[in-house]
Amino acid sequence: MDTKETEILGEIKSKFKVDGRIRRGQRMWISTDKNKLMDVCTWLKDRGFIHLSAVSVTDWLDEGIYELTYHLWSYDDNILVTVKTKIDRDNPAVNSVEPIWEESAQIHERELHELFGVKFKGNSDLSPLFLEDQKDMHPFRKDFDWREYVREKFYNKENKRETIYYD
Amino acid sequence: MINEMEPSLKGTEYDLYFGPAHPGSGNFGVKLKIDGEIVVSARADPGYLHRGFEKLMEYRTPIQNAVLSDRLCILEPLNWNLIHAEAVDELMGIDIPERAKYIRVIMAELSRIQSHIIWYGVFSIGTGFDTGFKMAFGYRDYILDLFELITGGRVYPAGYLCPGGVRRDFPNCARDKILKVLDKMDEMVKLEELENPALGARAKGVGVLKVKDAIRLGATGPVLRGSGMKTDVRKDESYEIYDKLDFEIPVRKDGDAYARYWIGIEEMKQSIKIVKQALKELPKGEVIDSAWKKPKLSVKMPEDEVYVRNEVARGEAAVYMVSDGGSTPYRCKIRGPDFLHMIPVLEYLLKGAQIADVPAIYWSLNICPADMDR
Repeated sequence: MDTKETEILGEIKSKFKVDGRIRRGQRMWISTDKNKLMDVCTWLKDRGFIHLSAVSVTDWLDEGIYELTYHLWSYDDNILVTVKTKIDRDNPAVNSVEPIWEESAQIHERELHELFGVKFKGNSDLSPLFLEDQKDMHPFRKDFDWREYVREKFYNKENKRETIYYD
Repeated sequence: MINEMEPSLKGTEYDLYFGPAHPGSGNFGVKLKIDGEIVVSARADPGYLHRGFEKLMEYRTPIQNAVLSDRLCILEPLNWNLIHAEAVDELMGIDIPERAKYIRVIMAELSRIQSHIIWYGVFSIGTGFDTGFKMAFGYRDYILDLFELITGGRVYPAGYLCPGGVRRDFPNCARDKILKVLDKMDEMVKLEELENPALGARAKGVGVLKVKDAIRLGATGPVLRGSGMKTDVRKDESYEIYDKLDFEIPVRKDGDAYARYWIGIEEMKQSIKIVKQALKELPKGEVIDSAWKKPKLSVKMPEDEVYVRNEVARGEAAVYMVSDGGSTPYRCKIRGPDFLHMIPVLEYLLKGAQIADVPAIYWSLNICPADMDR
């Protein structure tokens, strides 16, 4: 049976030669190369995926990569497509999708820039959002030990009552 | 006008801080640049409630996260309980009992009603109608009493809607009490619907959001429906038992603060309808999957990833959960509707508005700083 999901997946596979699978009804996962990301996203936007639900980063520490995921929703077809792409963890830079989804993409990327340190090339405003006095550190990275950070910053080793935190 | 007539009366440009110390703004601030009476530009200043849930959840097991997920939004903890539970259910392939699904929907809808009542309350007080605020918080307490009876907590249910089902069954008296409270809610809706000329004058034609802009700015839920887009996750992508229930999606075309206010009232009516239907058809049986009856501290999750969407009172909420085969999620991205509503949408609507309209615009968006900052 030809559903909307298989139809869209077939179209995008033949056009961009990307991997993709249908996880269940209304859910589709596409993995693409970093260089093809903008083309794939532009095509999907024109195909009806006008709502950018979320952008996320998964930090795969052992493999040394960041996996970016863009969750797109189509109000016409009622399908969610997740576009995944991998970038280098040591030099995390990727093109911004702000030209495609405008403000909603801009704010998601600004958050990820602060928490993971991903540089989105072409984003109009990547100034700090949530955190205060935390320059050059990205607390959502897997190698950021927040317990250690809190101990160093907020507790006093000399204070007897707080020695419990150091053992 | 006055500026044109008399140069000496011309105002200067100045900065105004709306929040975080403003009563009612929540833990959130907007920096307004004002020229005379007109807002030239607005810049949101979030982060006062940033607790880093996404990181905290990476260190905890699903049972612990269920309790943590309460705190995602102060005003509707049960809805966030539900979405976390659904994410774990889908990731681990748990098939939850039918009765649990009904209880989940009843609790989520009751939570939606009380959240919309708060919305009405803060919108009233923001526009100078103090009675509305006191009415709203009085009626909300009836639902909080129900929550205390059923979950044990008035505001925070402590993970009542947990992975595998719900923590415990309804007490015997719950059904009658819920029906009685729903009668009270009907009363509240009637009070809200009374024609209030002052509120209309403050809200009509204020903060107009066109549907094209709403989509561009990432608006969802009541804000998007107030702009004329007929969409609701409960219908588009039905979860739990919503496909078996009969309810409407209220839509208004105007896109102003008054339209959003009306969406809130209409949605309350629909939620009352849903709870009544679900109570009528509530089946008997178990309320939690047998494997989860005694919560184990360490349960291995299969290596997979899921993206679960729900309709909470404020709009589209989503959880993206990735597991690498361990007992805690490897990554848990939480998408709060107010992250979009309170930064891009609010900044856009405030630009060019009159300073007196700022509260009406601000509270018409059904804001909650907790699920923005996470």
